Amino acid sequence: MSRLLDVGLEQLTALVYRMGEVAEKTIDISIKGFMEGKDVTREVQELSEFLVPRTVEIEDKAFELIVKYQPVASDLRIINSYMKIAYDFERYVRYAWDISFTHKKLGLNNCAAWGSIEQLMEKVSEMVNKSVKALKHHDVELAKTLAETEKEVDKIFFNYIDQLAASTTETKRAMCNLLVARFLERIADHTTYIAEAIVYIDTGEKTTLR
Amino acid sequence: MSETPSKDKMQCNGLSAWFGSKQALKNINLTVKANSVTAIIGPSGCGKSTLVRCFNRMHELIPNSKIEGKVLLDGENIYADHVDPVLIRRRVGMVFQKPNPFPTMSIYDNVAAGLKLTGVKKGKNLDDIVKQSLEKAHLWDEVKDDLKKSGTSISGGQQQRLCIARAIALQPEVILMDEPCSALDPIATAKIEELIVSLKRDYTVVVVTHNMQQAARVSDFTAFLYLGQLVEYGATISVFENPKSELTEKYITGKFG
Repeated sequence: MSRLLDVGLEQLTALVYRMGEVAEKTIDISIKGFMEGKDVTREVQELSEFLVPRTVEIEDKAFELIVKYQPVASDLRIINSYMKIAYDFERYVRYAWDISFTHKKLGLNNCAAWGSIEQLMEKVSEMVNKSVKALKHHDVELAKTLAETEKEVDKIFFNYIDQLAASTTETKRAMCNLLVARFLERIADHTTYIAEAIVYIDTGEKTTLR
Repeated sequence: MSETPSKDKMQCNGLSAWFGSKQALKNINLTVKANSVTAIIGPSGCGKSTLVRCFNRMHELIPNSKIEGKVLLDGENIYADHVDPVLIRRRVGMVFQKPNPFPTMSIYDNVAAGLKLTGVKKGKNLDDIVKQSLEKAHLWDEVKDDLKKSGTSISGGQQQRLCIARAIALQPEVILMDEPCSALDPIATAKIEELIVSLKRDYTVVVVTHNMQQAARVSDFTAFLYLGQLVEYGATISVFENPKSELTEKYITGKFG
């Protein structure tokens, strides 16, 4: 016989997974838009408008489950972690919006990809994909691999700043690429926060993977 | 939950207990820290009550019962030949599931009864101990003008606090509580829970409870018993956030039991 709490946990899980799918899609759109020189702010905005209220919905559901069932052990760890993960997904979408907005604001034609930004985008896309996959499959090992990739992203990011500083790249293009690189680096950080939450759900250990 | 308790107050070493041929406890090893609240949880029939009854030699009052192993109180085996069980029960008091004040006695006499048996005479000293005991049981303000009324004339929650005052009057070192709130409403339960937490300033408390949220609220340490065995014992926050045993996880999350 399933517990009353299980019904609520299933609803909460479905909401978080859905958020993950939408967040991943939003980042894909913003990255493609940047690489292809397209204005995708409207699409990103629409997905963001769908996703942001889901964070409140998840918080409400989590509080309802805590008040009704006083969950403990793995139940409590899941609820606590899902609230954090929902926030991380919200941040994914916020940075996706920042990328597409910066791209548009500084002029689509002035912002062509420069230097290792493409490499950064590939890495971050892969991390976002892995974070959503690890969450859905409760795959702690996959989650842990994000820590290594995040270190690579940091390295690429800081080298990239040095390259930009030393270059004669035209100002708008440099600004745009730098900001986009920074947003990507932050997305990468949030993938590891999600990874830490996945580890916590499974083991109860509060680890820092960064 | 509080300052870290350090001193060991009671210890079970290889404790086993039987009712006739039925073994109720199997090789329990457990340390109860001084000035802490330890909760004993587990499904019905797992040996929780038997364990606490072994802590003050009440188990042996049941015909055909038997125990093996040691229970140490301040390092001394309470089952050693020279030890007087009556003295142990004075040092290790017990509060039961249902409030059980002496029905023919007044509130005052309920608290004083045990003291009188130990030779304390009527007078200011006895009055002082009764007052202090009722104060420590958070009951004085509610009954101070009705001390001559029957112990059963007050509410169930007040009766349970009266029983706690009665136990406190004998100046025990350890107070055992066997499901002290199971017969009480939520308000009375909250008062007893507040009392349990405040009692650890002066006493070591061991509480048997079926209510896991209660264990989480009031205790510093939690022991989980299953089929007479100690499955897990540790700091309450660890047991409830991240239990080490899968069996504990299943029990406290309501997946069995």
